[in-house]
Amino acid sequence: MHRMMYPQIKACISFAIACCIFLNSCHSDNKAVQLADTTAKTPPPIRYEPIAAVSSLDKSPMDVIYFPPEYPKLKMLDSIKTPPVFRIFYSRPQRSGRKIFGNVVKYGEHWRLGANEATEIEFFEDVYIQQTKIPAGRYILYCIPQPAEWTIVINKDLYSWGLKIDTNKDIFKFTVPTIKTEKPIEEFTIDATQSGAGADLWIGWDDTKIVLPVEIRNPKP
Amino acid sequence: MKKIKSILAILLLSGCVLSVSAQDTWPATDNSPMDMAYFPVDYPILKIRKQAPETPVVKVIYSRPTKKNRKVFGELVEYGTVWRLGANEATEIDFFKDVKIGNTKIKKGRYTLYAIPTQEKWTIILNKDNDVWGSFAYNQKNDILRTDINVQKITQPVEVFSMMFEKTNTGTNLLIAWEDVKVALPISF
Repeated sequence: MHRMMYPQIKACISFAIACCIFLNSCHSDNKAVQLADTTAKTPPPIRYEPIAAVSSLDKSPMDVIYFPPEYPKLKMLDSIKTPPVFRIFYSRPQRSGRKIFGNVVKYGEHWRLGANEATEIEFFEDVYIQQTKIPAGRYILYCIPQPAEWTIVINKDLYSWGLKIDTNKDIFKFTVPTIKTEKPIEEFTIDATQSGAGADLWIGWDDTKIVLPVEIRNPKP
Repeated sequence: MKKIKSILAILLLSGCVLSVSAQDTWPATDNSPMDMAYFPVDYPILKIRKQAPETPVVKVIYSRPTKKNRKVFGELVEYGTVWRLGANEATEIDFFKDVKIGNTKIKKGRYTLYAIPTQEKWTIILNKDNDVWGSFAYNQKNDILRTDINVQKITQPVEVFSMMFEKTNTGTNLLIAWEDVKVALPISF
């Protein structure tokens, strides 16, 4: 939902958001999101409670990113006529003072790239990653992190909770080098920026980030 | 409105242009974070326990503003106007099979969900224009369904805007609650 913003335009965007609130009651609240429990190894108990009981926010809230960036807003402003290329739903645990890689997230193990449900990526058209064609469709995305490189896996086990990966449904695997961040990233983040060939898919948390280039061979006007 | 829209356009587009160069700053979590609900309830957990049917029936994805001592219905959410049922991106509902709402057959697929709340009833709208922000660009031409459901008062106030599914004899109810009201949208399959 939020995009990376440069400080100088942040204030302007705040103004824009204030306009949204004024115009359409978008009523964002300022409640600080609490700390994530990414160490949980078993899924939480199934809830069958009345609605009042589920009315608290998740500790690792879900978020969505679109490519082109800010697609829903561009569409609202009538600035884009074509469908989006892809979008990703994921949940965002927080670092909260912990060492993440090699500790909270173990090297060599499957990691759901977030929290809660498996991270989902939907391509609305065929794209290419490392010269491999990814057909349009919905997939889940997970990662096998190592200190020097991450293997990003595209898998077909949709609508699953992220703790148990059915590797029989792996479809594509891509290995990319890790990059050290200059300063720690507090909230686990997936983002997409424009590149010459299409999109750069960024994934970052704590002291590590990666970039996975996504090639779009039929760019829209 | 037009003027504010063009200001918004300039600001948002300049944000996009500026953001193409590098990944220096990372976006923070949202104040009205996104959430989702499935029917069958907790489908993803049932799935990894191997207790789930092959596909879910329906999933709703929405954002969750908090009441925070404000008067919601009639003020923050105005009566009689189209509301995105949450915050940020408009609420999305994804049917994994054909279903019926009232007597209307709804084809498998994803739709945008809006509501026009009033004191006694809400008009629930299913619209085929997806991937949209708010209800700013809502166009009635793209409606698939409009149906009225009665507002129920609840005794225990709901602080954070909430949606969930409950099982019924004919399928499921999508329950939507905030402040002191709740509505139930019956979906049969």
